[in-house]
Amino acid sequence: MKTIQHSYGADLSWIADFTNQFGGKIEGNFIIIPEELQTGTRYFLDCGEGIIAYYINVVYNKDFRFIQKNLDNNFVGIYYNLTEGEATVNSNSILYDVGRWRYNLSIIDGSLESDYNVKKGSRTFALCIFIKKTMLEEFLKKNNIHFHNIEKIANPSLNTIVRFERMSSESYHILNDLRKLEVGGPVFNLNLIGTVQMLLSNCLKKFSTERIIIQTVNSSDLTSIIAVQMFLIEHIEDQFPSIVLLAQMANMSESKFKNLFRKVTGLTPNNFFMSNKLLRAKELLEKKQLSISQVSDQLSFTNNSYFASKFKEQFGIPPKIFVKQL
Amino acid sequence: MKKITHCYSLTPEWQSEFAKKLNAELIDNKIIKLPESIGKGHSYFTQIIPGISVLFIDFTLKTPLKITRLKSDKQLYIFHFDLSEHVNLIKINNKDYEIGSYDKLDLAIIDNELESSFKPAVNERTIAIRLLVDKKLLNDFTIMHSKKVEPKQKNRGIKDFFYHYGNIDSNSILLIQSIKDKPINSISFEPLLKGVSLKLLGNFFNKFYDLNPVNNDITKVELEAINKTKEYLLNHLYGSFPSVIFLASMAGMSESKYKILFRKCFDSTPNNFFIAEKMKLAKELLQSGKFTSLTDVIYELNYTKLSYFSTKYYEIFQIKPSEDFVKKHSSKI
Repeated sequence: MKTIQHSYGADLSWIADFTNQFGGKIEGNFIIIPEELQTGTRYFLDCGEGIIAYYINVVYNKDFRFIQKNLDNNFVGIYYNLTEGEATVNSNSILYDVGRWRYNLSIIDGSLESDYNVKKGSRTFALCIFIKKTMLEEFLKKNNIHFHNIEKIANPSLNTIVRFERMSSESYHILNDLRKLEVGGPVFNLNLIGTVQMLLSNCLKKFSTERIIIQTVNSSDLTSIIAVQMFLIEHIEDQFPSIVLLAQMANMSESKFKNLFRKVTGLTPNNFFMSNKLLRAKELLEKKQLSISQVSDQLSFTNNSYFASKFKEQFGIPPKIFVKQL
Repeated sequence: MKKITHCYSLTPEWQSEFAKKLNAELIDNKIIKLPESIGKGHSYFTQIIPGISVLFIDFTLKTPLKITRLKSDKQLYIFHFDLSEHVNLIKINNKDYEIGSYDKLDLAIIDNELESSFKPAVNERTIAIRLLVDKKLLNDFTIMHSKKVEPKQKNRGIKDFFYHYGNIDSNSILLIQSIKDKPINSISFEPLLKGVSLKLLGNFFNKFYDLNPVNNDITKVELEAINKTKEYLLNHLYGSFPSVIFLASMAGMSESKYKILFRKCFDSTPNNFFIAEKMKLAKELLQSGKFTSLTDVIYELNYTKLSYFSTKYYEIFQIKPSEDFVKKHSSKI
């Protein structure tokens, strides 16, 4: 196991030390790290306005332990973590499982120490956003948001923020779009800043509506709901399996299942399934390997016109025009 | 018709004068709310990063309005993305362009040094995003890219005056669609608008300077099918040409489609490709020294007439088969 003790911050001063600990080097905006430790890309960018974006797309070749001890506590870290594999975060002596199917969005105050453990062979795709507290505060004030712990954010001596959540599927797809791009260069930077802004937008929306859902759902129920979600994503090309079956899978009554599913994902099971299906359809069309009717068939739509109308409902334009203008 | 003139700057100052001329209300130096007498709706202006600003327009007019942007010496490019579901008019250099709705052209790039005027349709919802980009910044992008590849676009490059007029790509349309119905007053609007704007630019540059233009005309499945028939041809060089009908059915295509795709892949017709390969084999056989006469070779290759074979051979290698022929030494038998 390799242990790395490092700091993060809403400026670029942490990068040199972080890189040295790996025995790596900095090339432009890339952090290059020896192949035997990890393979993949680490990329950082100053997005202006006191925001730093840190992009990670790597496979770990060793067990890693990252101890985060920040020199500055004037920032908040927002971590979008889509790790496939085993990863945990220990913060405030509570252990959280993080990764794509667990808590994939964590918001941690810079004043807190945290301990991130990741197992060999894990594939991590993550985007970390470090934002100055003063920025966050100004931002919220500017927008006239009544946010009842605003003072707490601004004042580090008072209570600190820790939230472990699951990102909305909208945010997930924004990240997925970013993942498809080749890293580096001014155009990627535009996309990266754009992505950060869009994610912040989603995050603030969540803040302002103040829906802390996860905490009100007990953990075994949450695991079942997430298992159902995974099942739906794995079978995205089939037809919708029916609420009865899904409820059975989650060991709940149908009404309880429907309620909880909605609480956790913000969508009904059927809407969740359909919108993911349509996003899949969009990806297939983008690849230009299949015709519209082939896509419709592959995704088990009963007919093309139904597919087209659903596609239009979701994206605002019919698939034919989408393909034409790619 | 009401006529308004204004000019743009990257900073929000230009709005106050503009709002005054329209009798519109300016909120926070960001939002301009149209007065009831003109129509319903608003615009939203914000700076994104140094050198890039965005103006989001969403309104329905009651009376005709012509907004003329005067030329100014500010070094800007204006990207106009129009997603109205009807046609608006943009006048650049005294030439009218129809813009709007996804089946028409809906992207205009205008140099700030050219005057243009915008005439939105009346009683229809007009939605557009205008990005104001500093020329210096744009030059950075174009320079970075042209190092790798020459821009293949037909626009007038980095000349002093230019405009370009084209289609928005699908992903950008989806982005604009996604912001269309978001409430402008909500907290999440501004970062969303910034994000969308930057991604629009990103998409634009990605498309504009597509670094690895993929061959999109042929899908993978089709390519596999064509390659399968090619393999078949190569494995049956000793026989006669199996006919296009047979090959097309093997690839699961119509004959005409098969022929077109085959030409795209190998720049030849199936038959010519087959003959060329056959002749290469013939050359090997001729030079192998295992045959006693030319006729033996051509029988081996399923030709019946030596004269036909010789002509074809000469066509391809510019040399007679007899000159290439190495005779088998009878003594070895």
